[in-house]
Amino acid sequence: MSGRRSGGARLLASPSALIGLAGIAAIVLLAALAPLLPLSDPLAQQPYGTLAGPSLASWLGTDNQGRDVLSRVIFGAQTSLLISLVSIGLAMVLGTLLGVVAGYYRGYAEVAIMRVADSLMAFPSLILGVAIMAILGSGTEKVILCLTIVMTPRFVRIAYGSAMAVRVKEYIEAAQAVSAPFHRILAVHIVPNIFSEILVVAILWIGTAIQVEASLSFIGIGVSPPTPTWGNMIKSGLDYLPIAPWMALAPSAAIFLTIVFFNLVGDSIRDVVDPRHYG
Amino acid sequence: MACLLVAVTLSTAQAADRALRMAYDIGDIATLDPHRGSSHVDRAIADMLFNGLVRVPPGQANISTVEPDLAESWEVGDGGKRWVFHLRHGVMFHPWKDHPAYEMTADDVVFSLEKAMDPKTSAYASEYDGFTVKALDRYTVEIDTAQPVSETLFLAKVMNYAGGFIVSKKAYEDLGPDGFRLHPVGTGPFMFKDYVPKERISFVANERYFRGKPKLPGVELLFMPDVSARGIGLRTGELDLIQGSSEESWVKLMRSYPGISVKVFGPGSASILFLNTKSKPLDDIRVRQAIAYALSRQAVVAAIGAETATPLYAPFPGEYLPGGLTTEEVRAKGLDYPTDIAKAKALLAEAGYPDGISLDVVHTELAVMLRPMENIQAQLRKAGINLNLKVVDHPTFHSLIRKDASQIVHYMAWRPNADVFLTRFYDSSSDITAGSKPDTNFSHYSGVDGLIAEAKATTDARKQAELWKRASVQILEDLPAIPVFQGRVAMGVRDTVDLGYDLDANLAFFIPITETVYLSD
Amino acid sequence: MLELIIRRTLNVIPICLVVFTIVFCLMRIAPGDPATAMLGDYASAEAVQSLRQEMGLDRPLWSQYLDSLRGLLHGDLGRSLSSGAPVSDQIASALPETLALAASSLAIGLLLGVPLGIVTAVRRGRPVDHAGRLFSLSGLSIPSFVLGILLMLLFAIDVPIFPAIGGGRSGDLSDQLLHLALPSLTLGLIMMAYVTRVMRTSMLNVLQEDYIRTARSKGIGELRVVLRHALPNCLVPLVSLCAINVIVLISSSVMVEIIFSRPGLGRLLISAMRQRDYVSLQSVLVVYAGIVILVNMTADLLYGVVNPRIRSR
Repeated sequence: MSGRRSGGARLLASPSALIGLAGIAAIVLLAALAPLLPLSDPLAQQPYGTLAGPSLASWLGTDNQGRDVLSRVIFGAQTSLLISLVSIGLAMVLGTLLGVVAGYYRGYAEVAIMRVADSLMAFPSLILGVAIMAILGSGTEKVILCLTIVMTPRFVRIAYGSAMAVRVKEYIEAAQAVSAPFHRILAVHIVPNIFSEILVVAILWIGTAIQVEASLSFIGIGVSPPTPTWGNMIKSGLDYLPIAPWMALAPSAAIFLTIVFFNLVGDSIRDVVDPRHYG
Repeated sequence: MACLLVAVTLSTAQAADRALRMAYDIGDIATLDPHRGSSHVDRAIADMLFNGLVRVPPGQANISTVEPDLAESWEVGDGGKRWVFHLRHGVMFHPWKDHPAYEMTADDVVFSLEKAMDPKTSAYASEYDGFTVKALDRYTVEIDTAQPVSETLFLAKVMNYAGGFIVSKKAYEDLGPDGFRLHPVGTGPFMFKDYVPKERISFVANERYFRGKPKLPGVELLFMPDVSARGIGLRTGELDLIQGSSEESWVKLMRSYPGISVKVFGPGSASILFLNTKSKPLDDIRVRQAIAYALSRQAVVAAIGAETATPLYAPFPGEYLPGGLTTEEVRAKGLDYPTDIAKAKALLAEAGYPDGISLDVVHTELAVMLRPMENIQAQLRKAGINLNLKVVDHPTFHSLIRKDASQIVHYMAWRPNADVFLTRFYDSSSDITAGSKPDTNFSHYSGVDGLIAEAKATTDARKQAELWKRASVQILEDLPAIPVFQGRVAMGVRDTVDLGYDLDANLAFFIPITETVYLSD
Repeated sequence: MLELIIRRTLNVIPICLVVFTIVFCLMRIAPGDPATAMLGDYASAEAVQSLRQEMGLDRPLWSQYLDSLRGLLHGDLGRSLSSGAPVSDQIASALPETLALAASSLAIGLLLGVPLGIVTAVRRGRPVDHAGRLFSLSGLSIPSFVLGILLMLLFAIDVPIFPAIGGGRSGDLSDQLLHLALPSLTLGLIMMAYVTRVMRTSMLNVLQEDYIRTARSKGIGELRVVLRHALPNCLVPLVSLCAINVIVLISSSVMVEIIFSRPGLGRLLISAMRQRDYVSLQSVLVVYAGIVILVNMTADLLYGVVNPRIRSR
């Protein structure tokens, strides 16, 4: 952990990190302020203004039900970001905790946690997501729960590995020798040592979470319409692609740019933390 | 002259000499046994493979157009209790596996109808309560009923629909129920070829079809639950006929492509709001009336599109079913509840809800149903009626509404005749919780039980229709349900497909593929 | 080597059992009744009840579980709840479609990605490098279904070169290859982005190694240095990347199969889910898990091949 401060400085010196951070900030701001912006109601149907092309009144045109596409893209950002950030956050906390417990305590806890985590990891993320949504049924909070279940084992794996590595270090042994309580060892010795690694992974997986969420909504088992999400907007735009390309292209561009920004930031952080990475 | 020229070029259009490819909105078939199938695709397939004793001609849905099919003629005796059918000679069943084709006789008809009457082998057994069937000779079949039955109701049970299809006795006995379910053998214009689960099913022409050799060499039906994929396939010419979306924007879009036309036909399905008359505050007729007055059918229909949806005022539409009320008849009786927000509010206040009411509604996420419902929700809000929509996926919706979880059930369906419509939705025996045969009486309504029973036992068609109309009027007065719109069916078809008959209507969501359908290059 | 395979396989068995049990239990918790899902709104309660019996849904859960477990051990996956057709037939027809898609995408990704990765590394900081990095960033960030839609629009609808739906006629190889073109290009381009990036990074690392400098100082040609001395040392990260990304590929193949209506495992998964066809669904999930486990095992073994140091351990 050489020079964390200089790491932060190096991060801000990288142009791609700056672009990524600025992009994310812009998207988060737009999503958060959506209700305050002068946008039309994303759910309001205007049966007489359907499939209208981009104009001054509606910058990105209207969809087949006469709803404003720009407004839906921005409100869709709300849903997509909410789902991916909350689920990655939850998975990060839960997964780290479980992984550390498994790596630190070993024994039955390790067997139980790692068996289940490995079994869940045996499924590609989208496929596990589909299976879970089949059980939960559609809805925003259900997608969050689903993505949390999908992502947690991945954090468990990383935290487990790191915790095992940290465990044998002298300072933990020293702490154990003075019989410090687990939460103290966790807070003082383990978490700070694995935090940066977990954070990089978390940021890179936000992109994955956004993709999986969009895919689920696209399949029609994620967030159900009329709530706008990028995935279900692309889905309904697909039918009208030749005459109203904006319906599918606007949300597609939104997903693409958001993931690009997260990838830029994630990559830059990783470059700083681990200059010799190759993933 | 020009017309003649066009006609000549059309008639000489080169036959494509390949199977017709069509795609329907379904993930897989449920069964190929016609006495069990009830999804629209199961029916579409049964329609190609099998015949009934009589049939509604392709492109029609009204039972009054019925004509001979496997039976050449029939007579009724004993006051509507004895029905004798004279079978067509020389009709051959399809060959199957290594069995050759053989002639259909009274034996097969008796076997088929007995199979249709048996709840173990049929999903339609209850339609045949009190029926017995016997062969008089090789080509004559007699059906006796315990109660007199009107021609309208009787012929519907032996026509080319559901339990009325005639299956091959020898094939069924040879293949067994599980085998027959995956290898159906009938007398229809097309024969089963092969089936790839969750993917497609193929048919070849039955060269010995009794109405003549089919013009198509075969048919391929793909299961494609995705309307955009179906649309793309139709546009690239990889598909010839697809199930569309009943939204007008889709219809217009498809029509904008060269070489593609959209056929919109009825009856489609009736969208109806069933009100739980046993739950507060819907137990008060004034509250139910308030909802009816708060609703604008015109606005709902405008949002869907005038071609694919028409306002519905009767419990089932007289335009398609004998015994149903037409819109004019409902208006004449003053039961159309024209939109009047002030009146709705006044009725609510009178019922003791001056501040409005709030109702819990479970609804499916299916867009065809959800979009109109959101429109209705917005309208009712103006009258102080607040609907808390809980949107769930379709299978869950079906489970929940049968457990009384929704105060208003929005249901979209079609039933083949007035009796079934009334019995299934309004007779107390179909009550979802208390009925003897729980079905789809979501309203817990019992106000027309007497009329339904009386109509069932009436053989005089006019008197029977009169009784059904009285039941409809009673329903509109008691308001256990509010009809909203009749949604029609939209199918995309390439111009190279010539059906060979006029498509005005069809009993289920499919276009019948008959021996006359022709595909040009 | 053989011992390693056997040990690995034995390790996998408990995971498979846990996977199967999880899947079975979860599928039965799912709301909605397969019979109702199958028959639709036109069905009477009578029809639904009769179908439920036919499907065997009225039997107790534990007996359904034991039956499917016993079946699985005998290689019999049961019959689809929806149509009664054997599930093993469905999987036998769907699996090759998905594997063909994955294999051809991987091939496209490697054939295009490896050279591009090398070129961008060697020409570091030049325009070709910037273009290559931009390309990989885009490829890593674009959801497969978005790319699939774009390609379909371009090459099947606007300029109708390739078919847009289905997997081609069975038995007609050229037709099947034609149908494979756009789907495998979709996933191949995404795969190529991953490969390019990994090749570039590891090539850059390797090119700084001392032995490369030595080789250069001996006056060996640059091309020879890169291909003969540097490339072999990039293979370890490439294999590990391929293992991870074949799994990503399998995940994305679901979306691509839906977009292009390909009759593969992904479509089977989704339609089984929509129909609540638990029997097919649990089998498809188990097959997917099997693929992932197999890929990971193969990658482990491949490490040994490309990196003898690991094998000796």
